[in-house]
Amino acid sequence: MQTLQRRVSVYGALLAMIPKMFMAYQLWFWAGLVMNVISMSILYFFWNAVYAESGVISGLAREQTINYILLAFFFMPLASNDLVWEFGSNLREGLMVHHLLRPVNFQAMNYVQQFGAVLTRVTLQIPILLLGVFLFGLKIPTDLMTWLAFLVSALLGFTVMFFFTWFLACFTFYTTEIWGLGVLIEGMTFFLSGALVPLAMMPEWLRGIVLSVPFAQALAVPIGLLSGITPLGDAPRLWLIQIAWIIGMWIISTLFFRVAVRKITVQGG
Amino acid sequence: MDAGEIVGYIGVNGAGKSTTIKMLTGVLMPTSGEVRVLGRDPHKQRVDNARDIGVVFGQRTQLWWDLALIESLNLIAKIYDVPPDRYKNILDQFTETLDLGALLNVPVRNMSLGQKMRSELAAALIHEPKVVYLDEPTIGLDLIVKERIRDFIKAECGAKGMTVMLTTHDLGDIEELCQRVIIIDDGQVIYDGPIQTIKKRFGKFREISFDTMKEAKSLQLPDGAQVLSAEERKVHIRFDRTVSSASKVASAVMNQIEVTDFSLSEPDLADIVKQIYNGALEREAR
Amino acid sequence: MTRYMSLYWLFLLQRLKALMEYRASFILGATSTIIWQGSSIAAVWVVMQNVPSLNGWNYDEVLMVYGIITLAKSINHMFADNLWTVGRVYIRAGGFDRFLVRPIDPLFHLLADRFCQDGVGNFIVGLALVVKASVDLDITWTPLMVAMLAVGVISGGFIFIALNLITCVSSFWIIDSVPITRLVFDNHLFAQYPLSIYPKAISILLTWVIPYGFASFYPASYLLGREMGNLAWVSPLIAAFLMFIGYRFWQFGLKYYSGTGS
Repeated sequence: MQTLQRRVSVYGALLAMIPKMFMAYQLWFWAGLVMNVISMSILYFFWNAVYAESGVISGLAREQTINYILLAFFFMPLASNDLVWEFGSNLREGLMVHHLLRPVNFQAMNYVQQFGAVLTRVTLQIPILLLGVFLFGLKIPTDLMTWLAFLVSALLGFTVMFFFTWFLACFTFYTTEIWGLGVLIEGMTFFLSGALVPLAMMPEWLRGIVLSVPFAQALAVPIGLLSGITPLGDAPRLWLIQIAWIIGMWIISTLFFRVAVRKITVQGG
Repeated sequence: MDAGEIVGYIGVNGAGKSTTIKMLTGVLMPTSGEVRVLGRDPHKQRVDNARDIGVVFGQRTQLWWDLALIESLNLIAKIYDVPPDRYKNILDQFTETLDLGALLNVPVRNMSLGQKMRSELAAALIHEPKVVYLDEPTIGLDLIVKERIRDFIKAECGAKGMTVMLTTHDLGDIEELCQRVIIIDDGQVIYDGPIQTIKKRFGKFREISFDTMKEAKSLQLPDGAQVLSAEERKVHIRFDRTVSSASKVASAVMNQIEVTDFSLSEPDLADIVKQIYNGALEREAR
Repeated sequence: MTRYMSLYWLFLLQRLKALMEYRASFILGATSTIIWQGSSIAAVWVVMQNVPSLNGWNYDEVLMVYGIITLAKSINHMFADNLWTVGRVYIRAGGFDRFLVRPIDPLFHLLADRFCQDGVGNFIVGLALVVKASVDLDITWTPLMVAMLAVGVISGGFIFIALNLITCVSSFWIIDSVPITRLVFDNHLFAQYPLSIYPKAISILLTWVIPYGFASFYPASYLLGREMGNLAWVSPLIAAFLMFIGYRFWQFGLKYYSGTGS
């Protein structure tokens, strides 16, 4: 009888764990929401204060800038992917060779995976978009052409970042500091993607630098189109520039990967 | 428990062993009843109690993962306020008896399981506690390391008159170290007494095995003997030494079937514990 | 008290020794903090190239606010980082019991157990910002002002620690307290900028409810000779009060823990 009681209490304890675990996920969801509200409030009130004394800055009105900043906040996942961590863990566990020997193109497989991840992340951000609309008067464009121009540019921009990160991820063949490399790239993306300040407000020289590295192609360019800062007529020209970036990044990353991969195919591992 | 005793504390998983240890170390508060260690309430007087006890939690380290052993020990000595010269003496002594010389400058994360356990023991005893709790100190270790650890516990705790409470699944530990055994199940003590008593009480049974030419069917056995199991050409028989004898059983079997070989064995402690769990004790009491 | 101080010193020394083995990741950790903070500061710089002031605060004054809170945060980051992971790393894995069988205060043991080197990056950033702002603003430091900077930063550090302590106690019940701690902690981001740019409700929240304002805005206001600056002298009281609450809360959680185990 006592044994039975003990069994019951053990199973009871295990059962009691389930709502606890469930709550933990719930908790993360709600906490995430509140954290995003905090971040958005700061962006909103900061920019409000910036515009307190002047109506137009670098040709941008208050509403335009705030719309751009909030949309960029929402679409932040476009500008980053997990390739560095992916390479790092594959190399650490010795799975890289295994992946390369599969009858699927390794790069194509990763492209599809990362694309899916970005899509998922953006979808999960939808509550934030709604909060932006209700709390901060974010205006979501309703014009179909604007969305089309944005979607093409976003896809191209994601592809630019994919090949660029592919190139950076090749460094994981040479160093074990995966975490450091990943965080470093994330930190640079934060500023250089144009998530924090519209490119128009940057001084000439700084904008030159930002546009000579690929980060902005993934966020500032498509969000510029979506928020209406960039006129729709510019879209084809911007797409061509993005395609040029893709070609360049594709060549560099492919060449570099070929060299880097020798590290493991020669030594084995 | 009396001072200076080494007591084995046995029970299946979930029987309440670790809860007991947690209450005795002051980590947990008893939900009912009272706990006294050295006349103190270990939870209410947690700090005073902590000074006088040493604990080894078999599967969790007490040491700092990234620190060299000597640095962990230095820190622990400071935490327990061990006077420097006293500390130096004990450290020298442990270095010899636990063979720590080569380990002192190795970080714990690079140690093997056995090396870790030796280090844990040193860490738990460096402040010469009066009461020591060892929770599974030999789990997962190979025989040679086990031997060494048992020797150390015997020598160290015996010489200093420490009171030791040892939980283990390894009955070899108990047989070698403990004079007294407490067996619990479902939070209840079901046996508490000297190890010889259980051995004697259950030792009156012996087992004898025969290899036979043919399958043994329906054997006639003398009083006090019974067939435990019969496989194709093997028979295990248990008999009560006080009623029958090995020769009586053997000749009875040999008269009925052709035997190629036989062997006699004494039941070991593991079997005894199994029997106790099966209620053998209760049955006897009735 | 002196015993605890010398103990802490020993813990710290040992930890630094162990960290010497990971020099590369230490440098990377500090660098990455600097790059992250650098991104935000660069954004502020770009914006303030375009406008003379943020609600009456010029660029260097904003940096002063930002610098002080970064210094205060670095104290929490360096000395109390274990509060983040006590549930995940210690309680769930069972290592927490180790603190309870030792003859020292378990909270002290928990905090002393891991000095977090990554906080050094924040300290460097914060200090650099305060120095830069004070040079550009031509601040003449009186002893009282130096005292206020120290009081503000240290009290601010304790405000961070106390709020993390209060929220981390939930890990005795729900194991992973990180989301709850984050909920409160993230509010410090408001206080990176002058509180006057926010609506009244937010500045009251950041002053009297989740008082990160005392770790940045008020001490900076005092140093810059602005109104409300004298409120900064309340910082130590607020910090002490929160630490008191936090410690009581911690003991309450500990009592629950030793009642049930896990």
